[in-house]
Amino acid sequence: MLRFLLGRIGRAALTIAMVVTFAFVVLRLSGDPAQIIMGADAPPEAVDAFRTAWGLDQPVWVQYFHYFGAILSGDLGRSMRDGRDALVLVTERIPATLALTLPALLIKIGLGIPAGIYAALHRNSLADRIVMVVAVAGFTVPSFVLGLLLVLVFAVQLGWLPSGGQEGWRHAILPVITLGLGGAAVLARFTRSAMLEVLGQPYIRTASAKGVPWRAVVTRHALPNAAIPTVTIIGFMVGSLIAGAVVVESVFSWPGVGRLLVVAVANRDLAVVQCILLLVATTMVCANLVVDLLYGLLDPRLRSAPRRAGA
Amino acid sequence: MISLSRRAAFGATAALVLPRFAVAQGTSTSDQRPTITIAVQKVANTNTLETLREQSNVGSRTWNSYGETLIEQSWSGDLGLKPALAESWRRIDDRTVELTLRDGVRFHDGRVMTAEDVAFSFGPERMGWNLTVEQARNLFGTVPGRTQGRTPPPEVLAVARRTFPAFEKIEVVDARRVRFVNRVPDVTLEGRISRNVGMIVSRAAFEAAPTWLDWARRPVGTGPYRVAEFRPDQVLVLEAFDEYWGGRPPIARLRFVEVPEVASRINMLLTGEADFACDMPPDQIGTVERNPRHQVVGGTIMNHRLTVFDKNHPQLANPLVRRAFTHAIDRQAIVEALWGGRTVVPRGLQFEFYGAMYQRDWEPPRHDPAEARRLLREAGYRGEPIPYRLLNNYYTNQVATAQILLEGWRQAGLNVQIEMRENFPQVLSREGQRGVRDWSNSASFNDPSASITSQHGPQGQQWQIGEWRNDEFGRLSQELDTSTDRARRGVVFRRLLEIAEREDPAYTVLHQSVNLTAKRRDLAWQPVQSFVMDFRSRNWGA
Repeated sequence: MLRFLLGRIGRAALTIAMVVTFAFVVLRLSGDPAQIIMGADAPPEAVDAFRTAWGLDQPVWVQYFHYFGAILSGDLGRSMRDGRDALVLVTERIPATLALTLPALLIKIGLGIPAGIYAALHRNSLADRIVMVVAVAGFTVPSFVLGLLLVLVFAVQLGWLPSGGQEGWRHAILPVITLGLGGAAVLARFTRSAMLEVLGQPYIRTASAKGVPWRAVVTRHALPNAAIPTVTIIGFMVGSLIAGAVVVESVFSWPGVGRLLVVAVANRDLAVVQCILLLVATTMVCANLVVDLLYGLLDPRLRSAPRRAGA
Repeated sequence: MISLSRRAAFGATAALVLPRFAVAQGTSTSDQRPTITIAVQKVANTNTLETLREQSNVGSRTWNSYGETLIEQSWSGDLGLKPALAESWRRIDDRTVELTLRDGVRFHDGRVMTAEDVAFSFGPERMGWNLTVEQARNLFGTVPGRTQGRTPPPEVLAVARRTFPAFEKIEVVDARRVRFVNRVPDVTLEGRISRNVGMIVSRAAFEAAPTWLDWARRPVGTGPYRVAEFRPDQVLVLEAFDEYWGGRPPIARLRFVEVPEVASRINMLLTGEADFACDMPPDQIGTVERNPRHQVVGGTIMNHRLTVFDKNHPQLANPLVRRAFTHAIDRQAIVEALWGGRTVVPRGLQFEFYGAMYQRDWEPPRHDPAEARRLLREAGYRGEPIPYRLLNNYYTNQVATAQILLEGWRQAGLNVQIEMRENFPQVLSREGQRGVRDWSNSASFNDPSASITSQHGPQGQQWQIGEWRNDEFGRLSQELDTSTDRARRGVVFRRLLEIAEREDPAYTVLHQSVNLTAKRRDLAWQPVQSFVMDFRSRNWGA
């Protein structure tokens, strides 16, 4: 188990390092932050001075090693727009984003998994077809379209809810639903197909033939075995908690990490973009690590697989 | 141990709570003024409120609510100059204007405005006249507040120099009089003073700010509203300044909320969350006005939309090719198709409010594809690609306009390639080959030097970024800016138009700009002929 854990942690660290490197190189190839931040009116010598001050006149590999060294010492840099600590800028916005993504995650899980299980257990019934039609619609309609539709109905036509901004819990309802419905649709489809696959397995037939009550067959034998693909998707959703609402935050004018990312990318505010990407990568990798560990708990064969392979 | 009976405890609680309740009631009943929310696409491009840094169209909406100049432009009237913080002014000579300050003006920090504050507002500490590159070096390179102090960023100096290209000094004559002195004669000094760069600020407040950035995010001026809260990229909240010299402001709080999506801005208006929604494209007028409670107001403003050229491009170096561009544009089609006839094709880069300087018989290039093809043949153009760096609707209808332009140019035989960019610095970047691009020019006062020379002359952006220059144009710009012979200035201006629009095109004007604002119909507020939004008593209510 320890070797399994260490292996996973090592892979996670490598993944984060690759993301950091990729983000660093791409950002430096995609535009000059000095020209963007100083503005079109700044004299050339001032732009050069800016580049010198931020080390942008150094070769990219020198900048990279400085940056990587700073990260290892916990310094994620400063915003080139106003000199504030990039980590502080980003963490200030995280609560606003989590205020949307956490309730949305609950909706995804609370709605998507039961709907998928119900559809699988009632395969080809009217309920199954309705669940799947709704799931396909939720899966295919882009979040900005769904968001605007919800605003049109619940804010403009009915006047029940505000259409945007962040001034109280009521303002969060529509963006949370927008985020939640799309994810619930994805989970419902995955849960249904996983359940259908498991329900067709010989051990399910055997359990039924041995007279195990159907409820016990589903809860003890089908659900745990169908959980692995579902847990994978949930892990991905957990990994997207910090920056998974870029479009929805723009549509609803919600000042979270997603909006900060859009503004920072447009301004080539390198430290802020890199800080967000680092946090996203870390969250995603941590979520995947937890998922990997859950695999081991859910399926003992995966836990012992490395040892057997090495034997 | 203290023991309290229930009655005593109730009495003590009531004694604590009731006065607060009474105060709260008193506050709410004494101030019946509304809170007004304005949904804007952007509060400030630079995330500052200092007019020397924030020189954008979006910044024009907010600044005059918290700041004022000595002389103001009458945007809602005849576009002339009128007294503001200076109750009068007079010419001492061709280089000097003496201004008499209004009495009893207070800054938002409660201090009375003095002649020293006025001198400070035009002085080196605020405008950066003495700024060196070495001082600029540390601006954003170090932690604000630790080393840089209140030294303004270098672009402040660039803006100050462009607005006051021959500024010499400002003299305090006495407690109520100051003299603005230019190095050279300038008949437009009063107009220049009226530009928002000349916002009068509190010297004490500036000096109390820990850093320039702190100052720039909370400037202390004399306007009817003071900055209560500014969250960059999110919201600007202004609150009524009841000691305003022009009387009690009519609105308790003004909230400029950043809503990037136009559909979201309209939704906020329709749901009552916003009272105004800015930057409406004309095709949304029907959507807004289907609801009888709302309307779209506005019209042409003192701004022109342009296509500008980079002479360094191998093909555009030949003026015949640039002239072909100008003749291949169906300007009237743009006005009709995209603006529903709500704007006009102007007579070049000029406005009627220039008065005697307005060249009434000047014509824009006629739409003549055959002439464009002839010019291209004469130039020996063989379809080499010419890049067109384009932003995604920074200007209303920008992409749709580009499509019409592209079709016209294609019909004339020009091979123009659109290159999408994210922001202006990318459009202006010297990396790669520049070709044509979009721009707009405002005239902030009633003289050609407010637009043609300040934007295209030696101090202008096109010249400064190396896009276009013409030696004769440079000399004549200097003459227009300094000559006091009105007849000669008219001749010079006409020659400038000939050079920049016909002989050696720097730009070509597409149409006059339009600014449309959606609002609640019951609010008695009128738009002005600028991006400025006026929320003073004079523009609010019956």
